[in-house]
Amino acid sequence: MEKVTYRVQRYDPDKDKKPRIQEFVIPFRHGMTVLDGLIYIKENVDNTLCFRSSCRMGICGSCGMFINNLPRLACHTPIEELKKDTITVKSLPNFPVVRDLVCDLTSLFAKHKSVKPYIIEPDMTEIEKPTGEFLQAQAQLEEFVQFAYCIKCGLCMAACPTLATDRHFLGPQPLTQAYRYSADRRDCGAKERFKMTDTPHGIWLCHLAGACSEVCPKGVDPAFGQQLLKRAMFSDSLRLRKKPVPPSVAKPPAEKKPRVAVPEFTIKKPNTKS
Amino acid sequence: MREVHLKILQYVSAVGIFFFVGIHLLVSHFSSGSPTSWASVVSRATSSGWFAIYIFILVFGFYHTLNGLRTIILEFSLSQRAIKVLDWTLVLGGLAVFGYAIYIPVQGF
Repeated sequence: MEKVTYRVQRYDPDKDKKPRIQEFVIPFRHGMTVLDGLIYIKENVDNTLCFRSSCRMGICGSCGMFINNLPRLACHTPIEELKKDTITVKSLPNFPVVRDLVCDLTSLFAKHKSVKPYIIEPDMTEIEKPTGEFLQAQAQLEEFVQFAYCIKCGLCMAACPTLATDRHFLGPQPLTQAYRYSADRRDCGAKERFKMTDTPHGIWLCHLAGACSEVCPKGVDPAFGQQLLKRAMFSDSLRLRKKPVPPSVAKPPAEKKPRVAVPEFTIKKPNTKS
Repeated sequence: MREVHLKILQYVSAVGIFFFVGIHLLVSHFSSGSPTSWASVVSRATSSGWFAIYIFILVFGFYHTLNGLRTIILEFSLSQRAIKVLDWTLVLGGLAVFGYAIYIPVQGF
């Protein structure tokens, strides 16, 4: 394959009534990702093309796009992996388009914020003015650690069939994060989160289609996280859930060990003063 | 009522339907004699045990159906006000139809 055809969604809210498709034929080189192609188009063919990207290595979650009918990270999708010489790139579904391939992720972050994705303590003084570290065993960490790998790219939200019909549905990302913090033994705020997720547009609309887990670029399993959240809420409503205990704090040692002295330079610095 | 309670009742009603409809099917299809004969139907209709089973089937069936319907309709991005209207429509409509449906076992009993 020497050339690859990009079919890119274009949309300018000032000029276009609805998104349209524009084709670009660009040279292909081994190891090229979809994002590399888009950057090539922007630098060499059409500098008005608008897309979002940052780290280029699947960490920041900025370049989420609808590539050949699946939500994927453009930087994490090698063209050879698609096994086609024509690539269709659109903005993520279930989010409004801002321009070309850029979608508005405001709803994702608002929903994420609504489930209180942070440690909640009955006494917040230790959070605000920490005196030590909260203790947590390795097994306790493993109960939720996979859900902490979420990079908030929005691919799971774009793949969710329930969110496609109900825009008020919280969605896989916020619901999974609600479980991630509720399962954390350092947290005592599960009840507050359950109030947010136990609504007509909350957790119970998840049908376990599993599309969210299929597309997650970090290997998080949001569908599983949502099932665990359902189980936790069931147990809580039937009063079978253990009451959270505020975590103990590891106080810093009273006497600090003397710091090891830094050895002297073996080579004397040349005297810069003449 | 919280959504989690509605969901728990949905599962309880599913188990209830499975259990009571199962009894009904077992007796109707596998019992000796002729369960569809006039005498058998009358004896079941006048039995307090069968009356209770039919009422349970109706209660569980109605709840399971209407709550399932509600879950499907909720996926159409309804506003809070529309959800309230939906809930009351289902409760009042369900009670009216349930009252009509219960007439036959009550009359038979």
